[in-house]
Amino acid sequence: MPNRVAIVGIGQTRHKSTRRDVTLPEMVNEAVRAALADAELTMKDIEAVFTSNMETFEGIYLPDHGAATEIGAYMKPGFKVCTGGTSGASVVVEGFCMVASGLYDVVMVLGFEKQDCGETTAAITAAATPIWGKGAVTGAIGEFAKQALSYMETSGAKEEHAAMVRLKADRGACKNEYAHLKLGLESAEQVLNSGYLVWPLRMLDFCPQSSGACALVLAEEKKARSISRKPVWIADVEVVHQEPFRAGTFADPTGKEAYTQHVACERLYKRNGITNPRRDIDMAEIYEPSNWEEMSLYEHFHFCERNQGWKLVEQGVTEMDGDFPVNPSGGVIATNPIGATPTIRVAEAALQIRGDAGAHQVAKDVKTSLASALGGPNWTVLTLLKRSL
Amino acid sequence: MAKKSSQEGEKKPEYITVKIDVPRKYRWSTGKYIGRTYREAHENKKIVANRCVKCKEVLWPPMQVCGRCKVEAGEDWVELSQTGTVMQYTYLVYPLWDPHYGEKFANPYANAMILLDDGVYIRHFLEETDVNKLKVGMRVEAVWRGDGERGEGMADVKYFRTIDE
Amino acid sequence: MAERVAICAVAQTKFRPDRGDASEGEMAYEAIRHVLEETGLTLSDIDSAVSCSQDFWDGRTISNMNIQPFVGAHLGHEDKVAEDGINAVYCGMAQVLSGYHEIVLVVAHTKESQAEKSLVENAAFDPIFMRELGLDFLSAAALQARRYMYKYGITAEQCAKVVVKNRGNARNNPFAQEPLDITVDDVLASRILASPIRKLDTKPISDGACAAILASEKKARKLTEKPVWILGVSSCYEAHYLGDRDLADCAALTKAAQKAYKMAGIRRPFNEISVAEISEEYSYQELLWMEGLGFCGRGEAGRLIDSGKTQMGGKLPVNPSGGMLSGNPTGVAGMVRVAEAALQLRGEAGNRQVRGANLALAHGMTGICGQHQAVMILGTN
Repeated sequence: MPNRVAIVGIGQTRHKSTRRDVTLPEMVNEAVRAALADAELTMKDIEAVFTSNMETFEGIYLPDHGAATEIGAYMKPGFKVCTGGTSGASVVVEGFCMVASGLYDVVMVLGFEKQDCGETTAAITAAATPIWGKGAVTGAIGEFAKQALSYMETSGAKEEHAAMVRLKADRGACKNEYAHLKLGLESAEQVLNSGYLVWPLRMLDFCPQSSGACALVLAEEKKARSISRKPVWIADVEVVHQEPFRAGTFADPTGKEAYTQHVACERLYKRNGITNPRRDIDMAEIYEPSNWEEMSLYEHFHFCERNQGWKLVEQGVTEMDGDFPVNPSGGVIATNPIGATPTIRVAEAALQIRGDAGAHQVAKDVKTSLASALGGPNWTVLTLLKRSL
Repeated sequence: MAKKSSQEGEKKPEYITVKIDVPRKYRWSTGKYIGRTYREAHENKKIVANRCVKCKEVLWPPMQVCGRCKVEAGEDWVELSQTGTVMQYTYLVYPLWDPHYGEKFANPYANAMILLDDGVYIRHFLEETDVNKLKVGMRVEAVWRGDGERGEGMADVKYFRTIDE
Repeated sequence: MAERVAICAVAQTKFRPDRGDASEGEMAYEAIRHVLEETGLTLSDIDSAVSCSQDFWDGRTISNMNIQPFVGAHLGHEDKVAEDGINAVYCGMAQVLSGYHEIVLVVAHTKESQAEKSLVENAAFDPIFMRELGLDFLSAAALQARRYMYKYGITAEQCAKVVVKNRGNARNNPFAQEPLDITVDDVLASRILASPIRKLDTKPISDGACAAILASEKKARKLTEKPVWILGVSSCYEAHYLGDRDLADCAALTKAAQKAYKMAGIRRPFNEISVAEISEEYSYQELLWMEGLGFCGRGEAGRLIDSGKTQMGGKLPVNPSGGMLSGNPTGVAGMVRVAEAALQLRGEAGNRQVRGANLALAHGMTGICGQHQAVMILGTN
């Protein structure tokens, strides 16, 4: 039987657009210290460190080496994973495997990104195959712009719904001490009046470029129970990649292709006896780079029927005090240090189970939560967390 | 975090940053499959791709292994149509960097998903820069760069021009 | 939870200085195709793929997108480890050992010919203090070589013997890029690149890929008659700043080796191990790494190579494949060491076979002067 694995320590930095006051290693160190403090451990207790970072954003080759001491990896085992936007969750999966396998009892996994060091969109554009992909010079934004168009057409969602999602995110972010963009938005007009980036995506429809880090301490069952009074169990994980859609990147306007989100949650739900996600899961922290994508994800993750995602928004179902809260932390649209973002989703989903999310703790009791990651050409990583197994 | 300057109250401290501006050159091999597409574009102004032996889909970009079937796709090469319909488009408003050229692209420009007449989707630029004239369903055709200017694969097609049909 | 993890098949491309004829994926597929054929698997039978490449070397953000179709990642699990390839094997091993997957495809691929080595490597140095010094791995290695030779009296001749041995061993290896029939004098006459490192103390630019199929014990027995078991593995990071390290030492390797040995139940490595494949990017490194691996005491590797015990036919042959010096790409080299060790244990190493090999060591390293070290112990039992 594989070991059971729990999250026993959670730490993040206060995410900002620029952190000129620290170097990249210093910034990551803040998250490491926070996670250790949360777990009431020292680096001596950590047996290995696994990291996630997209090195093209900072222009640093082997960033885990440059920050080896600050991430606590000095004289310890570990490695870096790098799978694009999902890196931060892939590293949680790898850490999970390392502990579940019995190779280690206590490890740290951490994601970090200091977007202020480089040119984010240029780096994302460089993910397009250099040989024929130069027609994709609009980076991720352009592809999410097309996703927005697709969603508007197929579901009938209106810009007003997208604005409502943005307002929800901002409300959450303003209650989240770690969130980056805390705008204090008061009306949909503010969202609808923000200038276009790549049509039809407006400035406020899309995630920011943030600098930040997030660290988790994972432990096997026996150690977990002695380290933490509130271990959060990683019940299951699912990683699904895909070939790029023929007619898009984050949406398939032909309607013929399978979405990784769909495939991943079907597999995960089946393995875990989840037949009614909104009943069997209490809340979710999903990776939504844009408000339009959030509505689409509600559908992919079976939180509602196809083309009904915008209705959940209208009905307030996914608000903090709603029936099925989604992204009470403010989500990715408020905070996006890319290498860390998926790790933050797992961290936030775990905080909700522990009841430690402070002002952005959801109203209902959270026993089971779902964290998702999105990256590359629509890859998905899901992490299912539980208060008790 | 930010330290307050003792003399001037709320003055923000000046942090020293190190700017590094290093062009990093790469030399990518197109390989056998994309190489053939490049050659046909360069020499003959044709767009070619291979059709997977199993699923019969035309692979764009051409590939040795069909990612969906997970088998070797084979060498059934087909020439693609150069006219198509715009299925989806977006246009750049905010200037963005192109990492290959190290320049910021002038705005706005339109980037579209074009369904070529034989059923293959291609993502490329549009000639039309007036956003009011863009619409889904418009018919377009490839416009090639001149002789001596080609050699960059799909970038050999300068853009797709709107045609009346 | 799987009891043990086996390597069921390994393959390498013939390493060449320039694989302009193939894209990254096509090159990786040459190795992938072999391991699939050998095990009778198709890409659809693979539960998970772990690849190993670097965005900086590939010149592409999310470099694993280059090989996605070739590893059967569609609607499946795929990961990328951004360290030397031996760590990708380790990652795959954890996936199997945890019971999460049963059959994992691991592939490491790099085309050094595509990028500018010095510029890529320079980007590994911390941007605030070290980068502007214009260091790359060669100049850093020169610092280490000088320090190591100074502290322990290791001579240039002893380093040269590594080159002579390994380049000579490569003549028996059909995958080796550049076997050479040379003498110590030839090495010492080659031009200085960064003192004390001479041209023949370094490896040529190399393109290539290496693939392996890992499986749980149950599945492995169905896939191959000669499973190679991973008995021990560990890795270790050193400090980053060169001044924070004693470059004459390799504390990280010593620690990684000790943990790997403990896991594998090895007490006297030099006596128990049948064959060792070590990643020596520069000639002095084979000597230094042997000390870290505990093949001899600190500062004694010069005498060890003088003794001839690490030659083919010696007590513990080191790098029968020709090692990294004969031409392996960075990032792939450590995985090639695993592949070569596996071939030795399967008795499939042809003319470079160490007779009766039953316990092998593979070593990989990443970064400045091997800031990250990893050791894997493989066996037939």
